[in-house]
Amino acid sequence: MIELRKASKIYPGSAAALVDVNLHIGKDEFVFIVGPSGSGKTTLLKLLYREELPTSGEVIVDKISVSGLRNRDVPYLRRNMGVVFQDYKLLPRRTIQENVSFALWVTGAPRAEIRRKSTLVLELVGLAKKANSFPQELSGGEQQRACIARAIVNNPPLLLADEPTGNLDPSTSWEIVELLDKINKRGTTIIVATHEKSIVDRMKRRVVAIELGRIVRDEQLGSY
Amino acid sequence: MVNLGFFFGEAWTGFKRSGIMSLVSIGTITVSLIVFGVFLLVVLNIGSVVSHAGARLEVMAYAAGDLSEARLNELEVSLNRLDGVEEVEFISKEDAWEDFTKHFGGRLKLDFSVGDNPLPYTFVIKVRNVDVVSGVAKGASRLKGIEDVRYAGKLVEKIRTLAAAVRVGGLVLVSLLSFATLLIVVNTIRLTVLARETDIYIMRLVGATDSFIKGPFIIEGIIIGIIGSALSVSVLFSSYELVASRIAEALPFIPIVFEGSSLFVIYGMVAVVGSFLGMLGGYISVSKSLKE
Repeated sequence: MIELRKASKIYPGSAAALVDVNLHIGKDEFVFIVGPSGSGKTTLLKLLYREELPTSGEVIVDKISVSGLRNRDVPYLRRNMGVVFQDYKLLPRRTIQENVSFALWVTGAPRAEIRRKSTLVLELVGLAKKANSFPQELSGGEQQRACIARAIVNNPPLLLADEPTGNLDPSTSWEIVELLDKINKRGTTIIVATHEKSIVDRMKRRVVAIELGRIVRDEQLGSY
Repeated sequence: MVNLGFFFGEAWTGFKRSGIMSLVSIGTITVSLIVFGVFLLVVLNIGSVVSHAGARLEVMAYAAGDLSEARLNELEVSLNRLDGVEEVEFISKEDAWEDFTKHFGGRLKLDFSVGDNPLPYTFVIKVRNVDVVSGVAKGASRLKGIEDVRYAGKLVEKIRTLAAAVRVGGLVLVSLLSFATLLIVVNTIRLTVLARETDIYIMRLVGATDSFIKGPFIIEGIIIGIIGSALSVSVLFSSYELVASRIAEALPFIPIVFEGSSLFVIYGMVAVVGSFLGMLGGYISVSKSLKE
């Protein structure tokens, strides 16, 4: 599913964010990327959804070389993956259902299909009753659920989450991780960047640890 | 088109949100287009003056009164051969005298004051267009037997120079104004773009193509352009009739254009240019953002 070959990223005027990273992630895996702030977790995810290009090396997602992708093909790459953020990035003047529909809208999907799929996914994340609320009326956990709903409404094979529980209390965080686990069991590869030890330890999934831009540990059924 | 409603909804929201700046943009576009339209109308009318003057343009060539008929015939043939000549009309000195006495005979006792017919033979040369007048006049004056050549050349040339100056000056003015207008439209829509940076970011994240993202901003530009065009065309339309009829009254010898079709072409051009400026403004303002 995902392959990084000697991928490096150096931001101009600063130290290397990633150095010669080799990583393979198979289909349907659930992987935690862990490490302290500034270790390169976010950069690694950004290489996968092509927010950034590697300075050297290659990044392959679903057999497509992301690092060699033309700019105008990037939208089609992103339709095959969902991205979830710490700060949710929901549109404030739109309802939850509209926010979720947004991801289908931009692909030019027919109205009936948008309606059907967005309703379905809101049920899946447990937000059916909040469909017509606005983001600011929701709790943090609910907003993150909405963000996840938007990320998976297209049924992408891959879901990337960058510190998805960073703004949430422990019990809500756990609910979000359980939701991600549920999505994983439906057949979606999930990569979660986090520095929350308790969650990682409790889930007992594959853990890739990064420090100063290098992979220092990669364990199946690992802990933080 | 599933997305058209979405595009227009977004565009309208952006337009309203930019409030005053949208009005400023419309105002600027309107003023620029009015200047553009006035320029086109002036050029149209100057063109009409030039072509009217050209149509009536004749070169008069006078031949000495003592030439033989054979020599006169030769002269007529030579004149006909000059480049740009359409038609040569010969007026004999006898006809000229008759004409002259008919006009002035009642007031003067011509037969007594003038013994012999003093008038020259006249060739009235019709030329193809304004550009060849001076050439024809020069050519005619070189012919043996032609004593004098006259034409209203100075006036026509002055009008032509003026027309060229108006065209060049107008074009410079119009391009400067268009550029200024474009800048203002770009900055107006830029406000919408900045207010929507999160939207744009998310759109890109969920896989919207650039052209999809640009759509609403380009439509916002077109809305500004169309409103500006409509305003300027209505100003031009209502004031042209008024001004033109006043001029036609005061200076009846100027052939003012009232013909609907050429005026509508001009109003059409104004509208197209306005919408295009708006569209281009929208396109530029959002493209800047997408490149970052």
